[in-house]
Amino acid sequence: MPGIDECLLEAMRLPGARGASLVDWTSGLALGTVGESPGGDHEAAATEAAEFARLAAEQRAFAPDDDPGGDPAAGADPPVEDLIVSNRDSYHVLRFVGPSFDGSVVLHLWLARTEGNLALARIRLGEMARRLVLA
Amino acid sequence: MTAVRTPPPPRLPVRSRSEGRGRGGLSPMLTRLAAERATGVLVRERGTLHLADGLVVHAESPSAPGLDVLLTAHGLLGADDWGAALAATGDPARAGRRLVDAGRITPGALELCQLSALYDAAYFCLAPSSTPGRFRYGAPADPDGTADPAATPPSGAARPAAPATLMFRPLPVAALERETVRRRDLLHRIWPDPRPDEAPLTVSARTAPPALTRRQRTVLDRVDGVRTATDIARELGRLAFHTLVDVRRLAAAGVLDPGRATAPPPAHPYEDVVPAPPPRAELLSSDPHVTLLKRLRDALEAL
Repeated sequence: MPGIDECLLEAMRLPGARGASLVDWTSGLALGTVGESPGGDHEAAATEAAEFARLAAEQRAFAPDDDPGGDPAAGADPPVEDLIVSNRDSYHVLRFVGPSFDGSVVLHLWLARTEGNLALARIRLGEMARRLVLA
Repeated sequence: MTAVRTPPPPRLPVRSRSEGRGRGGLSPMLTRLAAERATGVLVRERGTLHLADGLVVHAESPSAPGLDVLLTAHGLLGADDWGAALAATGDPARAGRRLVDAGRITPGALELCQLSALYDAAYFCLAPSSTPGRFRYGAPADPDGTADPAATPPSGAARPAAPATLMFRPLPVAALERETVRRRDLLHRIWPDPRPDEAPLTVSARTAPPALTRRQRTVLDRVDGVRTATDIARELGRLAFHTLVDVRRLAAAGVLDPGRATAPPPAHPYEDVVPAPPPRAELLSSDPHVTLLKRLRDALEAL
């Protein structure tokens, strides 16, 4: 069972991984970072990832059909599982770390596009996010 | 159809690396303690910071929920399990470690909660205070974290500082101060009036509530004219700062009363159900332009 740093180091073992971080998307605080940071500044990258994650988590349009948006007691928080951004040279995968901890933490993996395998990264990141908090 | 939306929150501020250095930080005493690598407990008006070798290893504040609330509120851990671990170890940090060793929670869950709780409590500890802080020097009683706390001889002193080894990542004072300044900045950008942070919250009278996020709705459901943001955070098992973000966003959207008409605490214990103050005439105006101008005025006055 991994701690924060072990979880990030495990993410860095994925092919093409350039950097990984765990970000609180309400405050924009990086709770842990490993490897390079997109843009060269871990703290700035964390706040930008947090902005993106918050927007996606709060928009009704991105929630599943059966999401009881009006009923705060039911449904998963946040309703989104992960976010994917691609550009000419890299992929970013942001995985929400389930509701078991305040529902406000996201695992951010930055992959080089030539070596990275997006499908594999997405599956493995989901497993890592689960194992991080669930015993 | 006119859809009323809450205004989007402003962009998250980025920490400024140079900020705070020239000014000696938020607490000159804390900066000095960090420089001399002090060990002990700093008691400030709104909370305490525990230092070991000049690094912050623990923070607590009456305004922020503790490790126990964060661990038990979301189904990670039963309250009974926590109670048993606490009884066996006598201190929250050791109880957390014991639960990890027993396989009840993952190291990741404990680290997430410890780190978040520390930043959360430190935000309030480092708030501007009207009284000077006091520092009590004290060596950690149990630096390797292996001794049985029951066997620790009673030294006559107050509780020792939490040993550094119990916090998986002790934080430099400067990093904590930078983050606290950034968080203040974030709240200020959302809504510059700090009154809703501490006062009992009331829903303002308005005709059309805007679309709210699920997190905001759960906060709003608990607003009853009595509970404060801290009370709501504790009930929901959320970080106090996260709740302040939601509260300020609700205030900015005009959903929460900014708190001008906060009722004084009741004089008699039997009158402790405080009725909501009568709606202010100015907020009953159905003209959205008038309401907007009033809110704008409130915000400007608070600047």
